Amino acid sequence: MEFALEARQLKKEYQDKLALKGLNLQIKPGEIFCLLGQNGAGKSTTINLFLGFITPTSGAAYINGLEVADHLLKVKEYLAYIPENVMLYPNLTGLENLALFSSLAGFEYDKEQLLFYLIEAGLPAEAASRKVGTYSKGMRQKVGIAIAVAKHAKVLLLDEPTSGLDPKASNEFSDLLLKLSSQGTAIFMATHDIFRAKEVGTRVGIMREGELVDVLGTAALDANELEKLYLNYMHN
Amino acid sequence: MKKFWILIKYEWLNFRADKGLLILVTLTLLAGLYGIYYGTTEVERQRQNLAGLQKLTEHNVEEMKAKYPAGADAGDIGYYHSTFAVHHPDSWAALALGQRDVNPYYIKLRLLNLQSQLYDTENINPQKVLAGNFDLSFVLVYLFPLLIIGLCFNILSVEKEQGTLPLLLSQPISLPLIVGAKLTFRMLVVLSLGLLLSIIAMLWGNVVPDGRVALWLGVVVLYCLFWFAVAFLVAGLQKNSAFNAVTLLGVWLLLTIVVPALLNVYVSIKQPVPQALALTIKQREVVHGGWDKPKEETMEKFFALYPQWQDTAQIKERFVWRWYYAFHHLGDVAVADLASQYKQSLLNRHELVQRLNVLSVPVNVQGIFNALAGTDLPSYVQFLQSATRYHDALRAFYYPFLFRQITFHHADFEQEPKHHFASSPDVASATAGVVKLFISVLVVFGAGLLLYRWKVASVK
Amino acid sequence: MVRSIAQKEFLSTLRDKRFVVLSVLVLLLLLAATVVGLYSAHTLQQERMVAQEEVNHQFHNSQDRHPHRMAHYGSFAFRPKSSLSFLDFGLDSFTGASVFMEAHRQNSANFSQAQQSSSLIRFGEMTVAFVLQMLLPLLIVFLCFGAFTQEKETGTLKILLSQGVSLRRIAWAKIKGYSKTVALVVTPALLLAAGLLFGQNGFDLHPDTVWRLLLFLSFYLVYFFIFIVLSVIISALHRRSSTALVTLLGIWILFCVIIPKAAANLGNTLYTTPTKAQMDADVHEEVAKGIDGHNAQDARAGGLKKELLRKYGVDSLSQLPVNVDGIIMAAGEEQSTRVYREHFDKLTNTFQQQNLISELAAFLNPYLAVRHLSMGMAGSDFSHYLHFQEEAEEYRYKLAQGLNHLQATRLTYKDKTTRLSSDTWKEFKPFSYETPPVQWALSHHVFSLAALFLWLVLVCTVGFRLIDKTQIV
Repeated sequence: MEFALEARQLKKEYQDKLALKGLNLQIKPGEIFCLLGQNGAGKSTTINLFLGFITPTSGAAYINGLEVADHLLKVKEYLAYIPENVMLYPNLTGLENLALFSSLAGFEYDKEQLLFYLIEAGLPAEAASRKVGTYSKGMRQKVGIAIAVAKHAKVLLLDEPTSGLDPKASNEFSDLLLKLSSQGTAIFMATHDIFRAKEVGTRVGIMREGELVDVLGTAALDANELEKLYLNYMHN
Repeated sequence: MKKFWILIKYEWLNFRADKGLLILVTLTLLAGLYGIYYGTTEVERQRQNLAGLQKLTEHNVEEMKAKYPAGADAGDIGYYHSTFAVHHPDSWAALALGQRDVNPYYIKLRLLNLQSQLYDTENINPQKVLAGNFDLSFVLVYLFPLLIIGLCFNILSVEKEQGTLPLLLSQPISLPLIVGAKLTFRMLVVLSLGLLLSIIAMLWGNVVPDGRVALWLGVVVLYCLFWFAVAFLVAGLQKNSAFNAVTLLGVWLLLTIVVPALLNVYVSIKQPVPQALALTIKQREVVHGGWDKPKEETMEKFFALYPQWQDTAQIKERFVWRWYYAFHHLGDVAVADLASQYKQSLLNRHELVQRLNVLSVPVNVQGIFNALAGTDLPSYVQFLQSATRYHDALRAFYYPFLFRQITFHHADFEQEPKHHFASSPDVASATAGVVKLFISVLVVFGAGLLLYRWKVASVK
Repeated sequence: MVRSIAQKEFLSTLRDKRFVVLSVLVLLLLLAATVVGLYSAHTLQQERMVAQEEVNHQFHNSQDRHPHRMAHYGSFAFRPKSSLSFLDFGLDSFTGASVFMEAHRQNSANFSQAQQSSSLIRFGEMTVAFVLQMLLPLLIVFLCFGAFTQEKETGTLKILLSQGVSLRRIAWAKIKGYSKTVALVVTPALLLAAGLLFGQNGFDLHPDTVWRLLLFLSFYLVYFFIFIVLSVIISALHRRSSTALVTLLGIWILFCVIIPKAAANLGNTLYTTPTKAQMDADVHEEVAKGIDGHNAQDARAGGLKKELLRKYGVDSLSQLPVNVDGIIMAAGEEQSTRVYREHFDKLTNTFQQQNLISELAAFLNPYLAVRHLSMGMAGSDFSHYLHFQEEAEEYRYKLAQGLNHLQATRLTYKDKTTRLSSDTWKEFKPFSYETPPVQWALSHHVFSLAALFLWLVLVCTVGFRLIDKTQIV
């Protein structure tokens, strides 16, 4: 079967260091893969390689079976991305921002539908017609989620998406991820939050110095065991 | 293509919401309208002044008639009566005043020695001419680049600095498309403003609608494209907004101020115009020496030039007008070489500038505008030549009265030659300038494209 | 504390490669402008001096002539370049270099550099003043725009403040550091300029020139200081470096490009300059109502004759002990000069009204203030030009009247043939022009002086109050 997300011997080398040392990874549709690791472990590099923002030194990243480096534009039709800090056009309203990004992805929604996506992502309805410049970080994050959801992507790339969200919003976000995965979306999430990773993830990967040192199924673990394992890897 | 238009639409929404940009565009629009107003009023004022000269001449003729009720010796008329050589502005002059405020646009002429009259200046306030003209060409040549810089200096860097670029690039669109759409939107704004102002100026100034309309508009478009190309190139370096702003303003400063100032120094050293003072001194010496030379000698020299008056009565009187005008004319003849060298030096200077203007696109464009409006140095030199011919015509008109000693009657004033000179556009040099401008645009755009190809887009 | 911050700014600027490159460029331009300015001022001065000597020589060695012929032969006044004009050409390139001075007629000053140039000259000239007025403020902007914003962006401002330093003291320290940097860029060129200036005169210093140079420099120092403080204030009021920079660049464009031109053009639109043709016609008309030196039929000339006859108790003009021709000519010259003077004053007034707009605009724009003061000190401003024209007219009048006097006393009535010997002309002192003293020059720029100091006071008081309002978070 075809993988939604695949890395084959994916390597990224910068002038001074090897950021990713030959990653091999396959993620199926409907699967939620959580990547744990310290700052600088290579999580963002991996995501940027899947997004095609950087080119691999060797190896290849595949989205929906297409090699990213060869199909820079095509793969973006399949994926959605929520960065750690969602930045939007401050002079446009939440609705306008969502409309812009959706239409660039090829979806034309009327105002009602746009509002539906924003509310579903947790944005208060009254905020939707305000300029994004007045939003808090959490509110921008929710617009980012709405943009991703409205795109109906097969693959969701998340770079610490819940940082800055309050616990309630984080829980709602987790529910949303589970719902999307049940609809067949493959989710790749880089995170620091071990407990949430355990809670939503189908599998959890641990990355250290550009290497995927372990991949664990979450079904057989509880959160405390996972934390212990994680810290163990970090200290060695 | 559809995404391109989506991007443009949202650029418009962003633009509409940005007060700073709106103020910038409004200010440029107002500056442009003021420039048009200033140019047209200035040219209108010159036209009125020229019309006023007509009245002065008529008044002078009335005075002559009153002074010599029964007709006069033409010599007296030649001495006391004055007419004007006039340099009418082209209808396009209002758009680019050029050197029309510095160079006199009329010359008061009497039958006397021409060279002592030809270079008299008009009342000009030097402090004002130093500041220069706030006409449409100034707005287009100086301020439009600043508008373009203001709109484009952060064209790409702002997306990085406000963090929207990653999200934007995670959509199925490419970076060149984004930059292209943003540039296109800004071009639409700037070009429509530039063309709108130009068309308003043409209507307001009531210009002759000939091929120059297309040339002018074409130059406006190309010149704006040149600055967009510069902005495109600088954006391609993918540096931050502050770097871009300083770099772009630096380029502006270099091309519109520093290079022209250096060129000016070079031109004045390379092509000096030393003849003026020598000419004015020598001319006086020869003319006034005429009083002291034997009359036969003077007349012989004069008759060598004008044999048709050779057989006229020999001069026995102590003073007679035809002898007076003869040695005045010989004064002109004595400095004819210097005078033509002077004019030639001026034209050489202009030629040199034309050759060097590849070094600065704004100088080239200002040159094109002035050439189209007929307001630069060559027009002035042509006017000097035309005034010289007019003086010749005046002499030819008065000589029969003087040499045949015919009384100058009141009716003869009607027959006196009148002068009319209107500057004409120098379309050839304007076209040459357009070619250079076009090449400049291509070179800079080409360099920009190469840079984009060579440099990988970075998101952060 | 203040010293260490100032030192930090100074050092970090010197280590900033981009700034060093820009400074070196500005310094090179400054040096080039000094040399080029000196060269071209020297060339023009030489040209005019030679011409002046030639016409003086011609006048003194002119052949035997009737005095009235000599009055029409006349003389020329060539305007010498003032010794400091190489620093600031000012209006010199736009004002005529030579005036022909003859009887009955006031001629225009002809042959300005601008008339002999294509429109290229309108882009501006490369002089020391140009670099100091336009380019250095830009360098200052580039140096100072991040003064506070950078500290905010990196978060160091909070740390600095938590060490117990006040915002004002930080600002002062930064201003001190930047001033030192600017001085480093400007000083070499100014030393060179002063050296060249005094060197060419064999170090024979004229105290007036020294004063002018010192004031010239001090005005620029004040101007730079205003720009430094202004930039630091703007930086303090912004949160991000890029917006502070854009604001400062906008201010620069407004100050140095748009306002000067707009003010001058506005003045020109508001106050109409009469044409020379109209002015000459008006003068002629008014003179004709009085006396016309060439026309003995004129009523007033008749009256004058009658009066003379009565005074000397003789019956005919030929019996008079003086030559009435010369006397009538002198009276005519006096009359026409008086009328011309009135019209010339009116014209000058119009020009001054036009220029007043720019002078008042200096209160909005320190660039205009320093520009006027700079031209004033360099002797290339409007008042110096006017002074030259007035001196030339004064000389013309005296020359004409001197010659009329000769005609009245040494020639007889109706004598049109007698020629006075060439030696007579040697009695006339040639035209020589002295630049008026520095106090005189200053007195013509009261507004600009006031504006510059008002700016200085404003940035130091109101400006610092604004700095107190800096939002730290």
